[in-house]
Amino acid sequence: MLDHRQKIIGEDTVLFEHIWKSGKGFYITVSILGALVLLGLYAYVTQYRTGLAVTGLSRQIFWGVYITNFVFFIGISHAGTFISAVLRILKAEWRRPISRLSELTTVFILMFGVGSVLIDLGRPDRMLYAIRYANFQSPLLWDVCSIATYLTVSSISLYLALIPDIAMLRDLGGKREWFYRILSLGWRGTEGQHHRLDKAIGFVSVLVIPVMITVHTVVSFVFAMTIQPLWHSAIFGPYFVVGAIFSGVASVIVVMAVLRKAYHLENYIKPIHFNNIGIFLMAMTLLWFYFTFAEYITIVYGNEPIHMAIFWSKISGKFAPLFWLHFVLCFIIPLPILAIRKYRTIRGTVIASISIILGMWLERFVIIVPTLTRQRMPVDGAYYIPTWVEWSILTGCISLFMLLYTLFTKVFPIVPVWEVREGREKAVTQVGERIRSYLPETGADQNLLSPGGRG
Amino acid sequence: MYDGKKIILGLIIFLGLITYPIWHNTVSGKARYVPKPELPTDKDKKECVEPKAFIRVNHKTLLEDWKTSVVRDGVRTYQASNKKKYTMSLNRTCMNCHTDKTKFCDQCHNYMGVTNKCWDCHIYPKELKKG
Amino acid sequence: MEFNRRAFIKIAGLSILGLSVKPGWQVFSKIDTPEPSPDAETLAQRKWGMGIYLQKCWKDAGCRVCIDACHRIHNVPNLGTLKEEIKWVWTEPYEKVFPEHEFEVTEEDYRHKPVLLLCNQCDDPPCVRYCPTRATWKREDGIVMMDFHRCIGCRYCMAGCPYGSRSFNWRDPRPFIKNVNLEFPTRTRGVVEKCNFCVERLAQNKIPACVEACKEKALVFGDLKDPRSEIREALKFKTLYQRQPELGTKPKVYYIL
Repeated sequence: MLDHRQKIIGEDTVLFEHIWKSGKGFYITVSILGALVLLGLYAYVTQYRTGLAVTGLSRQIFWGVYITNFVFFIGISHAGTFISAVLRILKAEWRRPISRLSELTTVFILMFGVGSVLIDLGRPDRMLYAIRYANFQSPLLWDVCSIATYLTVSSISLYLALIPDIAMLRDLGGKREWFYRILSLGWRGTEGQHHRLDKAIGFVSVLVIPVMITVHTVVSFVFAMTIQPLWHSAIFGPYFVVGAIFSGVASVIVVMAVLRKAYHLENYIKPIHFNNIGIFLMAMTLLWFYFTFAEYITIVYGNEPIHMAIFWSKISGKFAPLFWLHFVLCFIIPLPILAIRKYRTIRGTVIASISIILGMWLERFVIIVPTLTRQRMPVDGAYYIPTWVEWSILTGCISLFMLLYTLFTKVFPIVPVWEVREGREKAVTQVGERIRSYLPETGADQNLLSPGGRG
Repeated sequence: MYDGKKIILGLIIFLGLITYPIWHNTVSGKARYVPKPELPTDKDKKECVEPKAFIRVNHKTLLEDWKTSVVRDGVRTYQASNKKKYTMSLNRTCMNCHTDKTKFCDQCHNYMGVTNKCWDCHIYPKELKKG
Repeated sequence: MEFNRRAFIKIAGLSILGLSVKPGWQVFSKIDTPEPSPDAETLAQRKWGMGIYLQKCWKDAGCRVCIDACHRIHNVPNLGTLKEEIKWVWTEPYEKVFPEHEFEVTEEDYRHKPVLLLCNQCDDPPCVRYCPTRATWKREDGIVMMDFHRCIGCRYCMAGCPYGSRSFNWRDPRPFIKNVNLEFPTRTRGVVEKCNFCVERLAQNKIPACVEACKEKALVFGDLKDPRSEIREALKFKTLYQRQPELGTKPKVYYIL
């Protein structure tokens, strides 16, 4: 019996251990996260009973932390797609250990993105009216459609890649065997099944990339399609997508580092992974800077009074501290860390990533709120100070995400065992063949005159 | 059965407690209560928009149709089955005769446990006051 | 029967067919819809507009009669704070409403004078496009309507309105209404509201409350399609302004200086 289990687990014991063993750290984490979730729930109940008056929102600034959360969470969701889908299509072998944890980030955080909008509604009991009386002229409806599609496709992608591992857990037997048996859909690991699974995952990976780009473009359209100054900008579409991938990949780095430490995955998630993602993150930092620069220089050069009033409030006025803080966090701190090889260590990339995550939340805030303080009318004195309700709900959302994530790792392996094994067994030969196919032919079938006239 | 007496006794007590809502009203006589909505007594308020049988069953649908017609279509005149024309308005037509919500509407609604959100916005005159 | 793919498709097809029974029944059983009253039809052929004679309005400094009338008959609550205020009609200083009229040599007289602001009932309303549930839409007679039953409180229409005409109910408004007008409903918390050109008064052939209340007759209201209406008279003036017409919203509130 034990022998049969050992055959399945093989040398990858540590990949299964976090499912069965729960140390002190786990219980402490779950307790703290649970308490924060309860706090968020209490804040929401307060809001549900009184109305949105308990927030810092006002007639002038009617969108604040909740909509920032919405854009921020949907932004983070782009990570999974990038790392599992794009890297898979590019045949980057180093994606293998991290594809599931990033895909999981996507699926779970999307739910909080949607949740943030629902929390922001004045009449949440009428939320289904958006579907029943849908007005497709509205960018919010485009949001509903694209986010629903993205959630569906990402979930399918996550599930498909989970199947062989679920089958492994089923074969290990035990109390949960019935659960894994149902979910494994009769997977036997034959050649034919693997071939079909590969095709299915490949198809979904290709499908999810345009959906990913559509999702954050459509989220940006909520702002870009209005005629408010500094919102009505064509660059918002690509700007938000770049920002999303930027913040998303940063989040995945943090998740990687935390899981690596907590579950002793040092052998599987290595410094090279952080190095490679770090290089990509550096490219995204520069790309993000390019878009931000292009946006603001266009505004400055146009010099329209209504736009400049808001621009100055960001650069030197009311919002200057937040604006410059976000710039430091998104660009000044991460760039040297990620660009210089010496600093692009695990610790370095994690510090850069945390900085980026905080900076990107501020970036969303600094895009949404300053425009609302004035809009097109010179209104003075409008200010927005979020209350404890809004901060508690933000904390609650993040905590619930982390809690659900942790609970997932207690049911399924967070590193895709079958993909790692596939890499171990087949990838070396496959990649070797692929590289050989790029190189010029050697041997007798060359009927070329050599340049030196050797003949 | 091991510990049989205790189990059966416990089961009987449990069933009794859980079916409390079912037998309590019958035993205490509250179930004999019949809602008595008070109809308006004025001579000129004897005829409702539609006959009693129709209204009793369909007043919810009627009011929802009125809501759609007035708000979304801009049509405010209702051609009743008695060939008379009425303004489609909860406050100005229905409440004109049935002035006290607690004595009329709530009588049946409370008994049936029906909640509606109409009163969140459509305020009701507290007392019968003409003019 | 053996449950194979064919059987599944048969059952699925029958179920979908079954789903069409109720709609089919409704279509063919002729549910009676009320006849449109003649008033509704004639109303729809009009195009309502409002004109504001600013000089007449400024004769009585500090006058708020129009605002009070509107807020009184529509049960607009007074929440007492700038944060949660709800206003259907209000005033702002001239220099803020028309910042583009500021020149180096400018009339000091009316820079700080109050200009009455309200929903412009635009002909091409941006707010209508953004509403995810069509809780706001433009009627045939040009009025941009609010359906408080359908509004989900997302406040996207507030983001879309370039004039800031819309207010939101951040909490239950009822405790804050001084004298309740029983003829008009209140709103609940969580819905957006704005001026509706007194659509319920128009249906009774009355003019909007603000227009009626103004003692100086500074407000005119009428059918823009009728060349003899008061509003068309007002539009013959040369110093005729609108709020930000370059946005293409085609507002129907005109200011005559």
